[in-house]
Amino acid sequence: MTLDHCLILSAVLFAIGLLGAFTRRNAVVVLFSIEIMLNAANLNLIAYWRFSENPAQLSGPLFTLFTIAVAAAEVAVGLALVIAVYRHFKTVDLEKLDTLSEE
Amino acid sequence: MSWELIRDILIATVPLLVIFPSLFAFTTWVERKALARIQNRIGPNKTGVPCTRISLFGLGQPAADGIKMLFKEDIVPRGADRLFHLLAPIVALIPAMLVLCFLPLEFPWAKYIQVPVQAFLLDGAVIFFFAITGINTLAVFMAGWASRNKYSLLGGMRAIAQMVSYEIPLVLSAVIVVMLVGSLNAADIASAQEGYQWFVFTPWGLAAFVIFFIAALAETNRSPFDLPEAESELIAGYFTEYSGFKFALFFLGEYIAMFAISGLAVTLFLGAGEGPGVATVPALSAVWFLAKIFALISLMIWLRGTLPRLRVDQLMAFAWKFLLPLSILNILLAGLAWHLRGQGTVAQAATWAASLLILYFTARVLDGLSRPQARPRQYKYAE
Amino acid sequence: MNQETAFWILSVVAVLGALVAVRQRNLVHGVFALLLFFAALAGLFLLLMAEFIAAAQVLVYIGAVGILLLFAIMLTERVTGEGKRIFSRGWLGGALASFAVLGALLLPPLRATVLPAHAQPVDPSVRALGEQLMNPYVVTLEVLALLLTAALIGAVATAQGTAKRKGAAK
Repeated sequence: MTLDHCLILSAVLFAIGLLGAFTRRNAVVVLFSIEIMLNAANLNLIAYWRFSENPAQLSGPLFTLFTIAVAAAEVAVGLALVIAVYRHFKTVDLEKLDTLSEE
Repeated sequence: MSWELIRDILIATVPLLVIFPSLFAFTTWVERKALARIQNRIGPNKTGVPCTRISLFGLGQPAADGIKMLFKEDIVPRGADRLFHLLAPIVALIPAMLVLCFLPLEFPWAKYIQVPVQAFLLDGAVIFFFAITGINTLAVFMAGWASRNKYSLLGGMRAIAQMVSYEIPLVLSAVIVVMLVGSLNAADIASAQEGYQWFVFTPWGLAAFVIFFIAALAETNRSPFDLPEAESELIAGYFTEYSGFKFALFFLGEYIAMFAISGLAVTLFLGAGEGPGVATVPALSAVWFLAKIFALISLMIWLRGTLPRLRVDQLMAFAWKFLLPLSILNILLAGLAWHLRGQGTVAQAATWAASLLILYFTARVLDGLSRPQARPRQYKYAE
Repeated sequence: MNQETAFWILSVVAVLGALVAVRQRNLVHGVFALLLFFAALAGLFLLLMAEFIAAAQVLVYIGAVGILLLFAIMLTERVTGEGKRIFSRGWLGGALASFAVLGALLLPPLRATVLPAHAQPVDPSVRALGEQLMNPYVVTLEVLALLLTAALIGAVATAQGTAKRKGAAK
């Protein structure tokens, strides 16, 4: 298990998250994919910390802790927005939510 | 994977897998008899030694129930999600048994373990405990969803809302102990309470213990917070459609979760494993730990027989509007008491007065909740 | 079961979980695959000796974010949606873009830059993390607390709507 393996894994996970964010129609699935991307980035941070020269400085876990907290806040607000949008438009299909675009 | 490692893992885990389910069987018997006596009836007293008429006060009842559940037909509703229907009891049971490993129970055969099994000496045992207890909510959702039954789903959502809301006062009360000991390690917390300096005897510890216990009752869906499994409400809530062995697994999971949370309460507040005679016979510490767990379980059974059930909106209001601010106030009180700890009797009396005030208000609010409050209904999400 | 096999098993579970989560039609199955992904990631954090982060990952993501996603699914739409397409009209462009990003991210290992080869010994301790949070990073911690409070209040306010709007809708 070297740093290479962890980086390749986190790159693959990030790309999977990006795939989900770009291709799905449902807003909640786009939020899942954003969470996948954030987790892949966390994995990257921890992997770099583990193989760094001074792991006693704990830069990896600290940064990851902040990322986890911010991601939790973001998903809470994002889902609240999705619920509010659903109440107004009665759908969360991203192709139907196009009132801002011009026909 | 050497033979010694396998042998040591087995020595460390198999006793837990044997002791706690047998304690579970005994607890179901105690519960049925105790509830029956509180309700002025007798309880099971016919099953005893099989194939004879010797009834040992109904002690054979748990075995009889177990055999019955093993042989019942396993019904899965048509159109239900079979994978989740199968997984839900497993996901309910595994976290409950896993957290038993984090408790500082020292069995006398632990000295035969040569290879140090590091998993149980985790530095962050308390936070792993809460993390794994949080997985229980998923099992409830899976059960409610997989039953293809509107009422099970509603019962499951209510149960999750209850469990998630009461996790916060639970964790905040435990945080007080962690803050004052300075470590998340269960062994450190146990040794900080040596010499009968149990945290429950301090003012902030008493308030924290009461809040922790109430939140633990709600986490494990016990009365008076047992709306999710109330028979007169939603038949059996999220496990209506379960029969036979899967129901037995849910039941086992619920009781083991009760043991695990009582174990954590004993570790954090009641001085894990300490009691008279431990210095001479070290094996007695495990016995005292189990005895204290059993005392807390008896308290839970007593409360079940005595208090009426809370309605779902009363339950949620109690958690968010009352227990949460109170646990935050308790953290402030603990910090204050820590700073005033050497400074004379007036300061000590002030902290005791503050903590008794907290307890008094808790009792008053719980009492007031059982009075009916008729207000016009407000639907926030359904329009 | 040494570290290599554990790493491979956990990475396969993580990749499969993420793939199922983004491609599944049934949203509840997708969320549970996502939770499996979070659990595999927590296992990977444990392998990389970040104990506290593994516990925080399980506590926050599986215990809280997963439940939040499940509630949002229950509150927003018919979960199975038979007969509807689940991929949007521009899916090919999106897939190409994500493959391009994967290629760009994999370039450093492909170019074999010199990366540190072996890991320094780490003593996982929560006390050190706490000391770092309190001494150099206390301002960040307080700002994070403010952020979480603001997010909590905002989420509740946004999801509930205002009474005036509901009165007008009636």
